[in-house]
Amino acid sequence: MAVYEHHYKPYTGPLSKAWSRFLVIPRYAYEDLFQLRFFIALYALSFVAPLIFTILIYLHHNVTALAVFQMDVASLIPVNGTFFEIFISLQLALAFLMTVIIGPVLISRDLANNGLPLYLCRPFTRTEYILGKMAVLGLLLSSFTWVPGLLLFLFQGYLAGGGWMIDNWWIGGAILAVCWTQIILLSMLAMAFSAWLKWRTAASAALFAIFIIPTPIGLAIEEIFRTRLGHLFNPGMAIAQLTRHLFRTFGSTEYILSFGESWLVCLGYALVALWMLSRKLRAYEVIS
Amino acid sequence: MIFAKIKTSLIGLTSVDRASLSLWRCQILAILRIELSKNFWGRRAMLLYLLALVPVVILFLLAIVDPDGASDISRDWNSSQQAFVNIFDALILRSVVFFGSTWIFMNLFRGEVVDRSLHYYFLAPLRREVLVAAKYIAGMVAAAVLFSFSTLGSIFFLYYARGYPANIDFLLDGGGWQQILAYEAITLLACLGYGAIFMFIGLFFRNPIIPGLVVYGWEWINFLLPPLLKKISIIHYLESHLPIPVDEGPFATIVAPTAVWISVPSLLIFTGLVLTLTAIRIRRMEIRYGME
Repeated sequence: MAVYEHHYKPYTGPLSKAWSRFLVIPRYAYEDLFQLRFFIALYALSFVAPLIFTILIYLHHNVTALAVFQMDVASLIPVNGTFFEIFISLQLALAFLMTVIIGPVLISRDLANNGLPLYLCRPFTRTEYILGKMAVLGLLLSSFTWVPGLLLFLFQGYLAGGGWMIDNWWIGGAILAVCWTQIILLSMLAMAFSAWLKWRTAASAALFAIFIIPTPIGLAIEEIFRTRLGHLFNPGMAIAQLTRHLFRTFGSTEYILSFGESWLVCLGYALVALWMLSRKLRAYEVIS
Repeated sequence: MIFAKIKTSLIGLTSVDRASLSLWRCQILAILRIELSKNFWGRRAMLLYLLALVPVVILFLLAIVDPDGASDISRDWNSSQQAFVNIFDALILRSVVFFGSTWIFMNLFRGEVVDRSLHYYFLAPLRREVLVAAKYIAGMVAAAVLFSFSTLGSIFFLYYARGYPANIDFLLDGGGWQQILAYEAITLLACLGYGAIFMFIGLFFRNPIIPGLVVYGWEWINFLLPPLLKKISIIHYLESHLPIPVDEGPFATIVAPTAVWISVPSLLIFTGLVLTLTAIRIRRMEIRYGME
């Protein structure tokens, strides 16, 4: 065919449905991620705790097994709010570690290689782009946090019977609320740092620092000024306190941040991250 | 005749050594100039200034802004000192110096790789071991200056609250100078030890955050560790020299502090070993910017 006969032809193949376009991003991201042996090992490790906790629940209700092992698991490890809180805290710690590994490269590569216009020149909005990038972390972290958490809750409800699930419905709610809060907060902070810092190590360090450094600062302020206000800048503390409030493992006055303050801290950080993202995620940056 | 030959060869060797030492000194000074300007004035240094200011600002607020702060410090000086040692341990040593050293020393090589400028050093007629030494000294100077001022600033505001006469008495007769020197020396030793570890990690790992996390976790759980494992950490040797012992809580394993004549040489030997390993590593290092 002669060169002059080449002209623009619009794409005529099937289009993905508009609502599900953001899922294209996680699909390709997972293809890359699951080629890393270290990541696969870490992902496999994240299912060890669900397995152990399932066995504990099973042993709790299996009289024969208890007799064989000659132990009283039922009184030793009661299946209550604390039991599920420990499980969720373990899984969320792994979620944090995984976010530190995956999160910082989510957006930085697109920005560093001027790839963002390639997304945004298609029928794909900035919101869908952010949703897609969030889904990479959201779907992955969900698979070993609230999904096995709820399965454990259902398993316990099934084995305990007699309205256990109705009496303890708040545990299921707490699993969902805590996991989703942490997943959304982690994803947004990881993306914001990824967009602003571009260098993976710096973005990982920032994510790590924002959850760790405020703790000693808050404790120092508490020791000196006898006020808990120093912890209002600590998202890690907010999540930890929220977890304890929702799983009802607090005494009446022993909390550091109240329920409302914990939500406020999480919301504040999420809004700041959203603002950071909206500032950086543009197809073209005009430098004056 | 034989003695003359030996003498000649020795003189020859010495002059060669002297020449190379002088060359290395010049090269180290040249690299120091570049690195120090990066460490103090680069964009990446802003974070360090903020970090170093945190304890100073907290103590400034206590001593100057808080209306009851100064009188509380003056009234109960012993409790104030105990509170300060807790802040020094948890905030300055374990957070500010730890994270600051992480940032400074990991950036020495990893930052060059990210900026795609390491090959300029590698293409220069310069021994890579000299490069390691120069970069380490530059990092050490930056960390020492920043965090020493951070410690000194915090101590200044603690003392300021007591007023002039009480401080003069304490400094001259109450062992105040020894305390200040001890805090400063501990800060410098922390920069020395953590600096070596993080420069090593920065060269060996493409994403140094995970090993950094491991080191951080290890240093934090140090109080729980059995005596033998406690000694495989930096913080144990640093805490051994605190002028006032830190209360590590009811779950802590009690271990006698290590004597100065053991802990300081141990830290120096450890730093030397880590730097040697870093030098061996950098000799075989190939740059692949595309992997970043």
